[in-house]
This record gives sequence, structure tokens and C-alpha cells, in this order.
Amino acid sequence: MANTLTAAQKNHRRRILRRNLVAYSFIAPNFIGFAVFTLGPIIAAFVMAFMKWDGNNPAEFVGVQNFLAIFGDDRFISALKNTAIYAVFTVPFTLIIALALAILLNQKIRGRNFFRTVTFFPYVASLVAVAAVWNMLFTPAKGGIVNQVFLHLGLTPLKWAASPKTVLMTIILFSIWKNMGYYMVIYLAGLQGVNGELYEAASLDGANAWQKFCYVTVPQLRPTTFFVTIILTINCFKVYDIVYMLAGGSNGIVNKSAVVLVYYIYEEAFGNWRLGTASAAALVLFAIVLVITLIQFRGEKNFSAD
Amino acid sequence: MVSKSKTKNRLIARIVIYALLLLLAFIMLVPFVWMVTASLKFNKDIFVVPYQWLSLQPRWQNYVDIWTKIPLLTFIRNTVKLTLIVTFLQILTSSFAAYAFAKLQFKGRDILFLSYIATIAVPWQVYMVPQFIMMRGMGLADTHLSIIFLQAFSAFGVFMMRQFYEGIPDSLCEAARIDGMSEYGIYSRIMLPLSKPALSTLIIFTFVNTWNDFLGPLIYLTTESKKTLQIGLKMFISQYSAEYGLIMAASCLSLIPVLIVFLALQKYFVEGIASTGVKG
Amino acid sequence: MRKRIVSVVLAGLMAGMTIMGCGSSSSATADQAPADESATSAGTETSAAATEAADTESGEEVTLKWALWDISSTVYYQPLIDAFEAEHPDIKIEMVDLGSTDYSTVLGTQLSGSGSDFDVVTIKDVPGYMTLVNKGVLTNLNDKISADGIDLSQYGGVTDQVTIDGNLYELPFRSDIWVLFYNKDVFDKAGVSYPTNDMTWERYDEIARSLTDTTAGAEVYGAHYHTWRSTVMLDGILDGQHSAVDGTYDWTKPYYEMVVKEQQDGVCQDYATLKTQGLHYSDAFAQGNVGMMNMGSWFIATLIQKIKDGEYTDCTNWGMVKYPHADGVEPGSTLGTITALSLPTSAPHPDEAWEFIKFVSGEKGAEVMASTGNIPAMTNDDIVNSIASMDGFPQDDTSKDALVTSNVYLEMPANDKSSEIEEVLNNEHDLIMTESESVDEGIQNMNDGVQAILAE
Repeated sequence: MANTLTAAQKNHRRRILRRNLVAYSFIAPNFIGFAVFTLGPIIAAFVMAFMKWDGNNPAEFVGVQNFLAIFGDDRFISALKNTAIYAVFTVPFTLIIALALAILLNQKIRGRNFFRTVTFFPYVASLVAVAAVWNMLFTPAKGGIVNQVFLHLGLTPLKWAASPKTVLMTIILFSIWKNMGYYMVIYLAGLQGVNGELYEAASLDGANAWQKFCYVTVPQLRPTTFFVTIILTINCFKVYDIVYMLAGGSNGIVNKSAVVLVYYIYEEAFGNWRLGTASAAALVLFAIVLVITLIQFRGEKNFSAD
Repeated sequence: MVSKSKTKNRLIARIVIYALLLLLAFIMLVPFVWMVTASLKFNKDIFVVPYQWLSLQPRWQNYVDIWTKIPLLTFIRNTVKLTLIVTFLQILTSSFAAYAFAKLQFKGRDILFLSYIATIAVPWQVYMVPQFIMMRGMGLADTHLSIIFLQAFSAFGVFMMRQFYEGIPDSLCEAARIDGMSEYGIYSRIMLPLSKPALSTLIIFTFVNTWNDFLGPLIYLTTESKKTLQIGLKMFISQYSAEYGLIMAASCLSLIPVLIVFLALQKYFVEGIASTGVKG
Repeated sequence: MRKRIVSVVLAGLMAGMTIMGCGSSSSATADQAPADESATSAGTETSAAATEAADTESGEEVTLKWALWDISSTVYYQPLIDAFEAEHPDIKIEMVDLGSTDYSTVLGTQLSGSGSDFDVVTIKDVPGYMTLVNKGVLTNLNDKISADGIDLSQYGGVTDQVTIDGNLYELPFRSDIWVLFYNKDVFDKAGVSYPTNDMTWERYDEIARSLTDTTAGAEVYGAHYHTWRSTVMLDGILDGQHSAVDGTYDWTKPYYEMVVKEQQDGVCQDYATLKTQGLHYSDAFAQGNVGMMNMGSWFIATLIQKIKDGEYTDCTNWGMVKYPHADGVEPGSTLGTITALSLPTSAPHPDEAWEFIKFVSGEKGAEVMASTGNIPAMTNDDIVNSIASMDGFPQDDTSKDALVTSNVYLEMPANDKSSEIEEVLNNEHDLIMTESESVDEGIQNMNDGVQAILAE
């Protein structure tokens, strides 16, 4: 049977082969570089999660011992908890503000380019500079600008990044402020893809602005939102330098109340040169992000199938 | 009567919007103003509380010193070269690959795509050491090529371009296929022109990331003549002191190209499908 | 598809194997590598030995690569190199600046997997030294030291503190000690007599309080403590009975209590504010409202330079004294930080590199260091005199005497677990100083945390 393929079947097979080859030719230039320089080292790093390796001496297989070690480490548990809290608050707020800004700055308003540039600004400006300004505004001293405002409003001044109670909140606020312009730009690009005729049709049907937003803008922006949500979630789980700059301050001490996963990984890898436990921690981070991504991926697939 | 109150409402709405925007602009511009004023100060005056926004004696010397204390011109030249090559390669290869992921059916599409997304989730610190050892094994340590390979094939670009292509109706491609256009033709003549906003965004992001990248060049580039601007910035932070005045002066300078790129590409944010008159 | 995944995984695994030193040259990575490069990465000792042999045979000029940081702001690198090259015409030194802030990370990465071409590496601090020793990338110098008859007693005992299981892997060339800087103008204005070289901590606290003025807008701080752990906690190790890797930290209590009380009373600036605002200690001192500040001797050169440049105008009249001491302890004990040179096991030219290390950390290197205003690790009266005679150094005898020490204790003694211990101590230091926990709670947590690490 297998040898006696009909001409049509052969033709079909050839067409599929051709189709695959064309697709692979599109992917190859990027994929080869990606596989060699990124995927390979990543897989090597994941193998390392089951090894004991100091970066120099031969690695030694230790099974799941690295995972037992990190889950027995208070600092890792704190890091996991802090990262989760950080992501849970940062993702939705950044997303909503970025979308609102993008819609606002997509209107025909005077000085639009100026406002767009200005919003993008904190993202491109050097982190040293923006963190310094932020720390100046949100200083724990009673004379600090924000604390002065608090006093006038009858609120108790806070210690912001210097107190274990408020340090995460300070980092979250900073991160939203610094990054919203970045996601706004993505949304702005996405909004250019929304078909203008759909709005006209909706207007003819008597839809108001809110209805247009719900029934035209939001569905049309679905691929963009999918992208923004995933990148934003991943970036939240990978947060590192912001924490270092805000919570580390002038002596670089990030205590348990602010430590995050990548900071922990960095300490393990380059402070203690335990690349095995660092990789194990990264694998945990990877698993969390993968689950979140898969849920969203499935959600998107289901939707586009509808 | 009705139209009068409507215009009045509209006017109020406008005022509220502009007030909000101005507030936003103010909040966003504070660090910029801080950077500029700090770049004109002595180091010891930068962290004085309360901060002196207006310095009576601006210290322009900082802008002279940054050119003499480090080989800034060489660093800028290297950074420009690396940034341009990386951005070019990134745009080319990722928009190419993204087309296949968005518009073509092929074996292993989803799993390959997921592997791309998954790698975004891995922090670089984890695979930095294996990657460095591998690159050195290839003889790429201390070469600009290593930075190019490191940056040019990012999964981020592929993911982003694919999402934007998803938003372009499949019917456009189908119609072109029926007309006998090859996939390469569809990519270059239909998809690329339609994805100008997305391409601009990717250019901006790649440009900013490569321009501001620090740890990569720091680990790979050890020869002075090959180093980049961001390493140069860190040279003002030494073991026992940090020259913030100089750092801010150099930061202000390094910001200019990024802003130029952003402003230049902004005009493409208004040319989407809607304005090119393609029927959905 | 499955095949593809399998092959990708295999390629990754093989890349991993190469990294682990199993030396399979058929890995995916080696395919693209030029043959000689892959040989360097795979064969470790063989290639190094081969290069060395080639060099000695030909007797040609050798260039050594020296890993260091802050070339542009460090005054002694070039003079050291010039002096060495004058003595060894066929050896040239090439400096490689790895940056100061991430030095340990970059150096550790560069020395990974034995393909590095550094001949000499500078060691910044003890935890950094320990990680490299643990990684096995530094050469044990014992044999070379005894073969060349180097007298370690010249280093005043600091080499003993970095000897691990009887083995020494570095030779120090720079040594910084901690002293107490003070601003004479602040003392004059308050009508308080200057501090002396044999103050007790009680006396020091009294003086600080008598200098203090808490008037809003015109504050004067009697004391200033930078945010580092060393500025408070390590005041306690100067009696010679304790160290930062002890496992019990009850001896830090009087010092934490003194400083916390001082910051509550406005005698010194609040730690939380200093930390978040990132105020640098030199800028704090330069503002002219700080009476006394404990800091390392590296600050001397900065002060002299910035006063000369006209940047610092409010602290031009400064002096220094020895660290205060606990009751019943001989004055002159202080904290120290050493900068040292090591020989990586992968060094392409180990013999020439050893010549250079010997030179820099030896007597001739010490002379060069002193002539640039830095304190060499090998120190004696002549060297102290030459530093004190520098232009801009305070003219009083007390300041000169301040550099003479009786005991120098390293901020962090060599210990296998020093970087982990440091993490715990830093964490608690932060919480105590931000007053998020009481001194007793903090010390209890230090004891528990460090004992758990030591028990592992």
C-alpha cells in the first residue's frame, strides 16, 4: 500500500514538504543564531541545575539536591514570595496605564509627539539617574518632598525603600512609572493596525466611545495584549537592577524584604559561584513563567479559533 | 442648544485631558531635568538636600572632562557600529522568521515558537558563564562579533513581529497567493510595508537595548579600544568614589542618539493598515 | 519534530560537556571553532605548558596580561609597570581594566573553564579571593615563596590571615588601614579640643555629642558613619578577641547601641536616609558639617586631590587620628583591607608573571606605591614618612602618627563561607540600622544565621 501512492497523494506530500521547506527558510537565519548562541547555553545551564559546578572544576552530578537546597533556604523562599507580589501588582497596573496612555496619545491632539517622547523618557534615561531622582523624592527623611505632602495631608510619613514594610511598594511604584512608556509604545504600534472602518461601522450602529473601545479596540488589540502580558510578566519575574538600585542604596545591601529571584540567582552564581543552585533557581523561575505563558497561549488559541 | 452644551462638554474634556498630559509630562521630565542640572555640578553638590535645581555657577567643565578622562570618541564609535549592525540584523532576521510563525503552516510551528518564548524567560545571568566559555572556545572573546551574536538573534524580536503580523488579516496573503505571488514576495511587498509601526517599534527597542547594554560588553570586551559607551560611563564609578557629575554629563550625551531615533521613527506610528486603505 | 528536539538537546548537552572539561572536541560548538582555539579550551595544562616552553626557548619579548580595575583613576599602575619594565626589558605588561563595580563577577567569568590568558590578576577583597581559591583557579605560591626566600613577616601578619590550610595564593602590595578623619573647623567652632591618638570609644562618643548641633537647617553632626557594615560592627573586632566569622556576635552590641542612639539623637545622619539617597562619604565630609568620620586611608589621597582642585572648600582644615579603642586595649589596633596579586593556574607565562608579582609586592614596588601616596602592604618608618611628607598632608604630628599601627585586622578573614556569612551579616546590619529590628534581635539573627552556615 505504502509503495503504491497515487499521484495525488505524492503531489500532496511534495506540496507539504515544499511548504515546510519554505517556512524553514524563513526561520533559519534567525533560528541558527538563536539556537547556537542562546538555546544551547540555556540547555547547558539547565543540565547544570542537577550538577554541582563552580564554573571551573569538573561538574558533579547531584540529582535534585540543588532543588532541595534552595527550597530549604529562607532567602530563596523570600525571593519567590517577593517576586510574586511584585508581579501581581506590577503587571495589571502597568498594562492598564500603558493602554490608556496609548489610546490617549493616539488621538489627534496638539503636541502629541512631545507627549509621546516624554512618556518614553524614563525608560531610556539611565537607571542611575532616574533611581537617584526617585530616591530624592521618596527619601525616608521627614523633609523629603513626598513625605512633606504626606504630612500636609495628615498622613504619617513613610520610610519607603528603607523599611521592610514599604520597600516592595516603592519598587512597584517606581517600576510602573519607569516602564509604562515602553509598553505604551507597543500598544501605540498595535493601535495603528486597528482597521478604521470598524470604527465607522460601529458609529453607524450608534455605538458610544466606551462601546467602541470594548467591541472594536480591545478585540483588535488582542495579539498586542497577548504579547504585552507575556513580556511584562516575564520582565517582572526577571526584575533585578531596579531592586538593586532602589533597595540596595549606597551599600548594595538588599535584605530579605526586597530580595527577588534574579537577585538571588546573581548572588548564588557570582557571589558564591554555585552555578548549580543558581541554575536550579532559574529553572523554578522558568517553570513558573512557562505555566503562565502556556495558559495565555491556550487562551489566545481558543480565542482565535472562535 | 443641544450642540452648544455638547461643544461645552467637549471643551471641558479637552481641558481635563491637557491638564492630565501636562502633569504626566512634568512627572516624566523631572529625571531629565535632574540629569541636566546634575551634569553641571560638582560631585559634592549633587546630593545636597534640598536639591538646588538652579545652579548659579554651572560647571561646563564636566562636559570637557568626559572627553579627556576616557577615550569617549572611540567608545561612541564602537557603540554606534555595534548598535547599527545589531539593529539591522535583528530587524531583518526576526521579521523574516516572524512571517513564517504568523502566516505559514508547517511542522513544529507551535513547539518552535514556544521554545522562543521560553528562552525569554531565562535570566541571562544563568547561562552567561556557559555562553562565555563557548564563545571563547570559538575564539570570539574580546571581539565585536561576540556582542553582535549575543544581541542580534533575540527571541524578543521574533515574538513581537509575529504578534503584529497576526493582526494583519490572512485574507490579504491568500489573495496574493492566488495571484501567484511567492511567499517571499508576500513578505517583502505586503507584510513589510504594512508593518511599519511594528518595525519602528522593534528598531527603537533594539536600538535602546543595544545602546544601553552594559554587562555583555563588560564581560566580553576587555581591550580598551573595543569598549563601548556604557562601559565608559561606569569608568566614572571607581572603587572608592563615583563621579556623578561626569556620569550625568555622559548620560545626557548618550541619550541624544536614542531620542533622535525615537523622534525620527515616530511618524510611522500614524501609518497603519487604516491609512493605507487596505480592505480587511 | 521529535528528532529535531533530540538533536537540539544533544547539542546542548555536548556544549555542557565541553564546559565541564570532559573535553569532547566533537561538540556542536567546536565545529565552528578554529582548530587552535578549541585546543586552548579543551587541553588546559598542555597548551599553557607549550606556550611557556616556546617563550623560554626563543627568549623573545613576553607580554603579560594584568587584570585590574580603574586604570584612569589609579595613580600607581603605570609607575609600577615602568619600574618593572626598566628592570626586565624583555617583559612587557599590558593592563586589562575589568571595571570596579563588577570586578569579581567579570574576573570569575574570565577565569572559568581554564581558557583565560591572564598572567597576573589583582585580588580586590577577601571574599573575592576565597571564591577564586575555592574554584581552584589560583596557583599555590608556597613553593615559589620558599624557593625565593621571601620573608612574609614584612607584611605585618596580614598574610597569615589569608593563608588557607597552610597555603598562600596571593601576595599583598597595597594595604589600607582605617583611621578617624576629623574636620578641625568644626571642632574650633564648637570650642572642643581635637581628638587624640588614644581615645576610648566612650570619649569618642562624648566628643561627638559635644560637637552636635541639631538646629534645623544648620545641623552639625559630631560623627558620620558610612552605610557599610564595617563602620559600625567591626569596631568590635579591634580588641583582637573576635572576628566577623565567629558565629557569635554579642560583642557587636555596644557599638550598635552607641551608633543607633547617636542617630536617634541626631549626632550622626540617619542610616536609612544615607542609604537611599546614596550620599557618598566623601561628599558628606566635604559638606563641612561633619565632625569625625571613620574611613579607610584611601580617603587621604581623595581629600588632598579634591582640596587641591578647589572642589572641597569646607573641609580644607582636616586631620586624622588612630581608631578609638576599647577600654583596656592598646591603642593603634585598626581594620585593614589589602589589595593583592595572584597567579592564575592558566597563566600562559607563569615564570615571568611571578617575577612581576614579586616585584610589585616587594620592596621596590613598595617604594613606588609610597611615592604615589598609597600605603604599600610592606610598610616601615621610611614609607610612613614619605607618605606624611606629601603635599597636602596635615602638618601635625598626631596625623602622621595615626598611620602607625600596632595590629591590623582584616575586615573579613579568609573563610570558606565568607561570602555567605557576609550576606547574613549585611542583612541584619541593614535591619538594625534602619531600626526595623532591635539590636538584640539583630544579633540573635546573626548568631542563628551564621551558625547555620558554619554547621553545613
